[in-house]
Amino acid sequence: MIPLLLWILATTDAAFIGYREAAGRSALINKQAYYRRAMLRGILLGQVAVGIVGMALTVSLLLSPEPVVLVDKLQKAGSRMVLVYLPYALVILLAFVLRAVPSVDLRSITSVVIFGPFTFIRPMVVVAGVAWGFWVVPSLTTLLLGVLILTLMLAMEWLIGRLRTAKLIS
Amino acid sequence: MFWTMPKSGQEISDAIISFDPITLERKPVLKSDVIAEFVSLNNQRAVRIIEKIPEREGVLEADAVDQLLITTHCEMQRISEEFQHGQRVAELLQPLLRALRSGGETSIRIVDIGCGTGFIVRWLSAQAMLGDDVEIIGADYNAALIKEAKRLAELEHLACSFVEANAFRLDHPAAIYISTGILHHFRGQELIELLKQHNRQETLAFVHFDFHPSPLAPIGSWLFHAVRMRQPLAKHDGVLSAIRAHKSRDLLEAAKVAAPEFISTIYGTQLWGLPIPRVFHALVGLRSAYRERFLQYMGSRIASLGKIE
Repeated sequence: MIPLLLWILATTDAAFIGYREAAGRSALINKQAYYRRAMLRGILLGQVAVGIVGMALTVSLLLSPEPVVLVDKLQKAGSRMVLVYLPYALVILLAFVLRAVPSVDLRSITSVVIFGPFTFIRPMVVVAGVAWGFWVVPSLTTLLLGVLILTLMLAMEWLIGRLRTAKLIS
Repeated sequence: MFWTMPKSGQEISDAIISFDPITLERKPVLKSDVIAEFVSLNNQRAVRIIEKIPEREGVLEADAVDQLLITTHCEMQRISEEFQHGQRVAELLQPLLRALRSGGETSIRIVDIGCGTGFIVRWLSAQAMLGDDVEIIGADYNAALIKEAKRLAELEHLACSFVEANAFRLDHPAAIYISTGILHHFRGQELIELLKQHNRQETLAFVHFDFHPSPLAPIGSWLFHAVRMRQPLAKHDGVLSAIRAHKSRDLLEAAKVAAPEFISTIYGTQLWGLPIPRVFHALVGLRSAYRERFLQYMGSRIASLGKIE
């Protein structure tokens, strides 16, 4: 259950990363297709990131003298990460529900109160989730896994931006 | 961060470009002059931004400045989209247009002053919400921004037009003048002179949106520009715009002095009848003959209107 929840959260976050990276780069009026592509791109890169973490986990388990203990530690860390990320995601989801109401004022308020500030605190939430998750299971392996997850979560938007600069995406 | 927020002075985008207001001829801007201006304001952040703009023989390169402004406008459009600004403008224009129509007006021309890359004009045109009898034109001094606006409109086959011109010197004046984020660029007597230009027979109304000043506005603006903008110039000027925004009272006073033929009010002073700060408010001016119909057609949105003076 915990890995599934984390995968859903990571995929959703990756979709928004794709959106954010693309936003403010197209001045067209009708750009639903442009944003769909951007979100899909984010999701795909998110899966690559999940795959990298998955491989790192597999290698860690293979090399671990006590794989069962490591799995238990990772479950504990994952549970605590979910406790940080899920409320954050639910608030964003609530904002989207409110934004479905066709009111200029209400939609503006969702941006002022939720979307803007929550985008601002996202890096801190990312760090908090990983730190709090891996704090309870301190070891070199979990520390390295935590750093890997942090790096991937925080670097993805920058990475997509680099792909754009290199004209590999448009 | 907060402490790097500019406190006063003009925006970089105003300082790095200059036009003759009559001929619209672009005038060279000396990089050293602009830097000296911001040094005198102790605005080191602005200085760093300007230092990065290419120059040729001491003059800021026009193409580089234009490209910077186009990119900045694209990023500004993103914030306008997020805050539903097209819809906001349309919701105010619709009752205004109904009032003018019921007063016998046909073939109504709307001109967006300082339209930049024409987001509002293109958005209104794309939504086709205003009616076939409405002509929408964007006007700006900057040829590069107008060229980009035209290019974008053509890409989406939009029925709107853009002109490199002073909006108040068009061959056929507008029935309604609109703008977004323009008023705070004009200070004191300049604002009066700008508003005075509505005093022509053909002009029936004006709607000028700008940032709504409040104690929270600078921090809110800083936060949004930090998370939504990439261009340092956009971040700098966006925050400064919120700081420089005119108070509702000052706008009304200026309108009363400059355009006494119009009744004036502020749209967006309140939210749901409460004095909650908003992102934008608008100075609205209207010929008194249309007042009652306008108020009637505003419907529930009348709660957002301030006192009519």
